[in-house]
Amino acid sequence: MANNSIKLLAPDVHRGLAELVSKRLGLPLTDSTLKRDPTGEVSFSIGQSVRDQDIFIITQIGSGIVNDRVLELLIMINASKTASARRITAIIPNFPYARQDRKDKSRAPITAKLMADMLTTAGCDHVVTMDLHASQIQGFFDVPVDNLYAEPSVVRYIKENVNFQDAIIISPDAGGAKRAAGLADRLDLNFALIHKERARANEVSRMVLVGDVTDKICIIVDDMADTCGTLAKAADILLENRARSVIAIVTHGVLSGNAIQNINGSKLDKVVCTNTVPFEEKMKSCPKLDVIDISGVLAESIRRLHNGESISYLFKHQW
Amino acid sequence: MSFKVDLEYPFKRYHCKTQPTKSIVMSSIVIFGGESHPELVKKICENVNIHPSQVTLGKFSNGETSISVGDSVREKDVYVIQSGCGQVNDTFMQLLILISACKSASASRVTAVMPYFCYSRQPDTPYTVKGAPLISKPRETYTFESNPGTPINGGSSTKSNSSSSMTTQRPGADSSFKSLNTTIRNTIDLQQPQPSRVQPGVRPVLPTLNNTMSLSRIPIIPGGKVQTPRTSNADAGELFNSQNAGYKLWVVQAGTLIANLLTASGADHVITMDLHDPQFPGFFNIPVDNLYCQPIQMNYIQHHIPDYQDAVIISPDAGGAKRATAIADALELSFALIHKERRSQLLKGPPDATLTSGGALPVSPKPLVATLNFPRNINASSPPKPQISHRHGGDDVNQSKYIQTTMVVGDVRNKVCIIVDDLVDTSYTITRAAKLLKDQGATKVYALITHGIFSGDALNRINQSSIDKLIISNTIPQDKTVQFLGKDRVDVIDVSRVFGEAIRRIHNGESISMLFEHGW
Repeated sequence: MANNSIKLLAPDVHRGLAELVSKRLGLPLTDSTLKRDPTGEVSFSIGQSVRDQDIFIITQIGSGIVNDRVLELLIMINASKTASARRITAIIPNFPYARQDRKDKSRAPITAKLMADMLTTAGCDHVVTMDLHASQIQGFFDVPVDNLYAEPSVVRYIKENVNFQDAIIISPDAGGAKRAAGLADRLDLNFALIHKERARANEVSRMVLVGDVTDKICIIVDDMADTCGTLAKAADILLENRARSVIAIVTHGVLSGNAIQNINGSKLDKVVCTNTVPFEEKMKSCPKLDVIDISGVLAESIRRLHNGESISYLFKHQW
Repeated sequence: MSFKVDLEYPFKRYHCKTQPTKSIVMSSIVIFGGESHPELVKKICENVNIHPSQVTLGKFSNGETSISVGDSVREKDVYVIQSGCGQVNDTFMQLLILISACKSASASRVTAVMPYFCYSRQPDTPYTVKGAPLISKPRETYTFESNPGTPINGGSSTKSNSSSSMTTQRPGADSSFKSLNTTIRNTIDLQQPQPSRVQPGVRPVLPTLNNTMSLSRIPIIPGGKVQTPRTSNADAGELFNSQNAGYKLWVVQAGTLIANLLTASGADHVITMDLHDPQFPGFFNIPVDNLYCQPIQMNYIQHHIPDYQDAVIISPDAGGAKRATAIADALELSFALIHKERRSQLLKGPPDATLTSGGALPVSPKPLVATLNFPRNINASSPPKPQISHRHGGDDVNQSKYIQTTMVVGDVRNKVCIIVDDLVDTSYTITRAAKLLKDQGATKVYALITHGIFSGDALNRINQSSIDKLIISNTIPQDKTVQFLGKDRVDVIDVSRVFGEAIRRIHNGESISMLFEHGW
């Protein structure tokens, strides 16, 4: 493939990440037009030929109007497909509906599977995502899925910004224990776990700390922060157990609902999110928020995918 | 059994041969309603004679749609009713998730019932008048003139003023009228030679292009002053080309995608009404039943329009002619068509026909039957905004060349006119048509519409237009319309019986073709 046959596409809203990636790759974003009519119907046109090109569509799907973003993405993929693109890779760092990945009760939809089907139907040939809620979601797809990890970027952030010799890694629930343990291993730190009994989605009930956090800087690690109720509660429990301070590092800072109030009112020193989700505006109203830029990982993965190089290098080395 | 068959429910007067024994067969129907149109769901269920099943619809705090199906659907014949209205993407996703939930809960068949099928029309290529994504502010007065054409560029809603300089423009369209003049004058004066054609792939070096985020996206077809062709005759072609040159505007056809998404989610069958494109069912790999509102509309005409025998059925554009003639033929009424003569515009014709070396720009609108002289009529009835009124002055020979003429093909004088269309969004087409008809001597104008989306200030426009009565079906909730225009001016016709009967027949494996013919 000739070098110029990459095309980067991004929707017209939340282009922040796409622009960072495009800057790192030194490739401009391809001109395209997304139009919405008042009811929300989207029409899309690409300003340049994409025939026989390697297309990368970079989206940031956050909170709020998820469905609009999903349909936009699908329409963009389909537009590229019908315009005879050679290969279409959807870069969806925060995979929407990832949490509805199983039939947790009778007749519940497995929406993550539906998303996978829809992406494939639209014509997507490859999916790149980051820190999937459950890595089994990769199995829902008929096309290759590359699940990147924010961990290397998180490790670098901790090393640069936290006095990490005194730190301890905390998993806020049993499901995230593996992720936290992996990070603790890499930083050679101890790790503790908060066990919680969750009654319903987005609601926290009772929490129990397993492990010793006395006089430690606690780093809560999770894949997603939604309303941040869990994080705030976890911080309370950690401080009750004589922790020195608490910060939280999450990959996808969806920060929906009254997350900002929860964070501002909590005892967390800092909530650090990667920029898989657009939250620039929320940073203004919440001084505790900090951001880890993962555009480097994405840019490198695009480069490697395009050139047919191994992606696994990205899992080990710091970005 | 989690739902009940109400045997006490009075049988409908239409020929539904629902016997108590039938109800046992009916018992394997399950109907779910989406959020978009609960009222219609209720009515359809009444017609099918069952209760809608339990489903909890909502959203998670992060905006993802959440659904939980309350009743068992195992081995059932499931119908999911969701009209493509409201926030379309949300309702559509909800439909997909609901279908997928039913399918994965072992429903034997899932049918998507979409009274209005979203994404079924292909919106806004820059030359269409319908479906412009324009959110204009409600104004005090409207001019229902045909020129300038519908503001097409709307673009992303918030940046309309800046985007107008970036997206496709054509002379004669709205804001670019001045620049058209400039263009023409420059053509004649050959003052500033500039490249008129932007290379595909090269970002145009227009200063306006770079300062907004939504930047354009369509690198060709630079409008306005930037693009100034060099010489008159040789470059007439270039002028023409430059409007269409470079990478041709390419708008995605969402139809196939939407069809495939429905199939991917697990839908086995689709029921819809009055699709904008008759070809649309071809995009599907599953059966699509396209019901018609026409029998109900005909029924309405016969019963509610006095002296309908003398009425004229009007198609507001050439695309809807077939639909209108079908009604006209069935009721043996006369028919007229509103035709937009666009050839008189500089752009659309072949260059030689519109540009000559002398600078005189001969154009012959050639009205077939009657041409409306817009300038005078408009100034007489409702004066347009001052800055555009000069266009209609009628004194400037050059300017009048480019007025897009609209004409009625057929005789409407002293007649009752019934405009028939499948869909109204911005209402530009029908309000303009109504105005034209009244100017041509129509006594009364009815508008008979299947799907009323009424986005932006459409209702306002209709309110101020010459439409005497709007007859709209309830495929999309019309409470707001009735509230806004008043009960006297709007009649909502109920399509639930057609859908109910279609569901009943499809469930029982009967033919639905008789639904197309008989007045329901």
